Amino acid sequence: MTVFSSGSPSPANPAGPAGPAASKASARRLVYPFTALVGQERMRTALVLNAVCPAIGGVLVRGQKGTAKSTAVRGLAALLPEIEVVGGCAFGCDPDGVLCDACRARADAGERLPRARRVTRVVDMPLGATEDRVAGTLDLEHAVRLGRRVLQPGLLALAHRAILYVDEVNLLHDHIVDLVLDAAATGINVVEREGVSAAHPAAFILVGTMNPEEGELRPQLLDRFGLCVEVAAPTDVDTRMEVVRLRDAFERDPVAFARHWEPEQERLRAAIVQARRILPLVRMPEDLQRKGCELCLEANVAGHRADVTLRRAARALAALADRQEVRLEDVLLAAELVLASRARPAPPPPPEQDEPEPDEEHEHEEQQEQDESEEEQPQEEHPEDERPREEQRGQGAEPEEREAEERDEPQENEGEEQAPPRAARETVFDVGEPFRVRDVPLARDRVPRTGPGKRTRSRTPLKAGRYVRSRRDPKPSDLALDATLRAAAPHQRARAGTHPGLALAVETGDLMRKVREKRVGSCIVLAVDASGSMGAARRMVEAKGAVLSLLLDAYQKRDTVAFVAFRGQEAELLLPPTGSVELAYRHLEELPTGGRTPLSDGLSMAYQVLDARLRKDPATFPVLVLVSDGRANVASFGGKPLAEAMEVADAVREDGRIRAVVVDVEKPGLVSFGLAGELAARMGARCYKVEELRADTLVRVLREEILPE
Amino acid sequence: MRHYTYPFTAIVGQEKMKTALVLNLVDPTIGGVLIRGEKGTAKSTAVRGLALLLPEMAAVAGCRFACDPAAGDCLCPDCAARVAAGEALETERRRVRVVDLPVGSTEDRVLGTLDLEWAIKKGERRFEPGILAEANRSILYVDEVNLLDDHIVDVLLDAAAMGVNTVERESVSFSHPARFVLVGTMNPEEGELRPQLLDRFGLCVEVRGIMDLEARVELVRRRAAFEADPAGFCAAREAEERRLGERIVAARERVPSVEVCDDVLRNVAEIAIGMNVDGHRADLVMVRAARALAALEGREAATREDVKRAAEMALPHRMRKKPFQKIGLDADRVDAILGAAS
Repeated sequence: MTVFSSGSPSPANPAGPAGPAASKASARRLVYPFTALVGQERMRTALVLNAVCPAIGGVLVRGQKGTAKSTAVRGLAALLPEIEVVGGCAFGCDPDGVLCDACRARADAGERLPRARRVTRVVDMPLGATEDRVAGTLDLEHAVRLGRRVLQPGLLALAHRAILYVDEVNLLHDHIVDLVLDAAATGINVVEREGVSAAHPAAFILVGTMNPEEGELRPQLLDRFGLCVEVAAPTDVDTRMEVVRLRDAFERDPVAFARHWEPEQERLRAAIVQARRILPLVRMPEDLQRKGCELCLEANVAGHRADVTLRRAARALAALADRQEVRLEDVLLAAELVLASRARPAPPPPPEQDEPEPDEEHEHEEQQEQDESEEEQPQEEHPEDERPREEQRGQGAEPEEREAEERDEPQENEGEEQAPPRAARETVFDVGEPFRVRDVPLARDRVPRTGPGKRTRSRTPLKAGRYVRSRRDPKPSDLALDATLRAAAPHQRARAGTHPGLALAVETGDLMRKVREKRVGSCIVLAVDASGSMGAARRMVEAKGAVLSLLLDAYQKRDTVAFVAFRGQEAELLLPPTGSVELAYRHLEELPTGGRTPLSDGLSMAYQVLDARLRKDPATFPVLVLVSDGRANVASFGGKPLAEAMEVADAVREDGRIRAVVVDVEKPGLVSFGLAGELAARMGARCYKVEELRADTLVRVLREEILPE
Repeated sequence: MRHYTYPFTAIVGQEKMKTALVLNLVDPTIGGVLIRGEKGTAKSTAVRGLALLLPEMAAVAGCRFACDPAAGDCLCPDCAARVAAGEALETERRRVRVVDLPVGSTEDRVLGTLDLEWAIKKGERRFEPGILAEANRSILYVDEVNLLDDHIVDVLLDAAAMGVNTVERESVSFSHPARFVLVGTMNPEEGELRPQLLDRFGLCVEVRGIMDLEARVELVRRRAAFEADPAGFCAAREAEERRLGERIVAARERVPSVEVCDDVLRNVAEIAIGMNVDGHRADLVMVRAARALAALEGREAATREDVKRAAEMALPHRMRKKPFQKIGLDADRVDAILGAAS
């Protein structure tokens, strides 16, 4: 239906067939030699493996800034031998491989495809890239001058047979990520947009980098990266000195530096070429294949992509060592690279071995103990534990009767933890508590918010979101070219001759703008105190009820929700921002309680999650809900526990973008500290007592006073 | 682009998913499949492989909508005009396809729109078919259907419900048949589907990673063999692929004559009532799926066992559920209902 424009991939790149990335490289000509990198063995191995076998599916590099991630990627591209392409093909088709439609038509017509050579490019995916630039779009020039619709190839086309480098991939817009993933998975980019229907090969090595502190990646995306490596700056003095020395030498005289490293470069280049050659011959013995699958099963990976990738990586490792048989060492190293990002906590029944994390152990113990107690222990030992189950649908919470015996301090709880049937009491209460929400009346009278608080940012920045349809607009700032041309098309006979030299006369009345749809709403981060004190007096039950009502509302509004729990020594991001409110619910349901209260860490993590979200999408409406009694007894930043928490609260207020709510779960009793109230004041947040905040009112508070419309 | 597709019959395990897909080939009125499951579980592979199993179909030669020459009353306007003009429609054989609906699609490409080039050159308005036209009488595949824009979902639902795509936009007014088997895949971790869209899928199956070591090893081995020599791998599988294809064709022919006796109908109704499902769509789908199952196995009548298996695929996404209740089906309850009925 549509033909591809031949020649230069895009009129915007007069640099010629090599495209912008390559032209950038040639301007600098000399990139830092890959082999001159110091340390970072894992990352280098992972990159080289992909050069040997692109089917491995790319690398995700996790780590801080300034750890030679980008240098390594560019160095790798420069190291790779030139590739053979069909001369003049916009996509750089492999003459001996899969062809694009245009090349295929030429080949089918009996033409002998001309061959040319090209260096391996690195195509950068900028964070602000728009959908049309990534996937390709309607070619303006062709359309207006010739009246023909042609795909103007995008970044995915440039990336065919190249390295697609996405710096800070965790900050990329979700809808762009989806496009990249689709192409990465199939090796083909299918374009069905803006009047163009086309498909072209897009097989690339996907290299992404991310700084985990700025937010995690969606699990779906994580799984699409074949390998994952962590990088960190080396910590020993000698290595650091070496890094500086080499870098300095390179910058002073790049030519001499490159010459010096050339033998080394050539060795690695030869090894890669040889590895590619023998890769098809590499055998993987049966027992090692079994071992590979065993490792994947042990890591409790989702699906089977890990197994397949592990095999590819192990074979590539063997090929790189110029062996035709995989050895155990290959499998083990491959497993590390493949499973790093894919391992999941084991499902409850088979307890995880050698997992040093105290929290995890704890949970398993709890789980086991819960099972035991359910079977063996007489019910009267845990009268309060059974209560919530019976009450789940009923009256909610009225804990007053048990309050006296239950009111306690964290210390007390810890004491109990050490008692012989360790943590039995606490854990049964927590884990075995299937608190389901009573039918929450979702009162949502949409009274516009008039209270205090400022909201000045525009909620939908221009040109963000997916282009779904068009509207007539005489002064469009976001022109919908395809729709405009279609609007003009039927009038062309009448306008003939009015615009000499153009195939198409477009007038103001034809102009259309893009209507974009965006799936963003609020991002609600729940920071929930899960320390021992919350287990007392059904505070957790009430807190869960309050949070759950919030989730229900988020579910209907399609908001994003993240979940931070703090207990023991640190906060844990149980759930990065997700549209799956079900997952949040599951985490809530299973959230165990116990241990000390690292309030400052919890608050700070919630803040970081929102900050990352805002960086990625400034249109997000960020909401922080802190469920706590304001008490803290673990310091995480070298200060005093409570003072630290107050400082973080100040930071949230000073940031100015985040709306916060504190749900105070402190029980009215003999001693009331009112700490949560103080914390709320420092954060610039409203503070609600959990008693006065039945589940449904939290929703109303948020909807009426906090969230936009 | 020459591109080998991993053969459907070479997929290890995932029997329920494969059955659900095949049933829709036997009887497209079952209404499609939603495949839910974690990443990397051969969801997409299965759907793509499906296309190769399908026998060719008869279509009006040159028709942009692959009209069925035998379907007198639901021809596209072009073919209808030709018939009205007394023209005899020529027939050609076409492959049934798996038509992709990419997540980034825009409305004009999904629905179809004004043909730009035609308009410029001829000064006439002509409809340019979109994805829904291509999907007529084929399979419409939406990967990551839960990530699709709400707006696109709406137009898709509309067409799926009517079997007709009606376009009123950009000075074009057109309507054409759009009957397709809707196949969607999704990873629930990325968010749920709207209940409306959920109900639109005839069947729903859950896929999980295989936890059996031997099966996993076999899976990797096959995948590796396919990658090493796709042509050889496909050739070696051809006989089995053809066998399944022939079974499907035979079942298609048998479906209309498969008997569904009153007892079996009663079972369906009892399950629908006992499982507390909304509406009647579940009943209908169960009957159709049970009939297709019987046809696939070469039987002349649907049995209670067929109904049970059909229920497992037709009900999981139709159970009236409380918020946050997991989508799924309590198979024991179905058993109990059937047991009590006997």
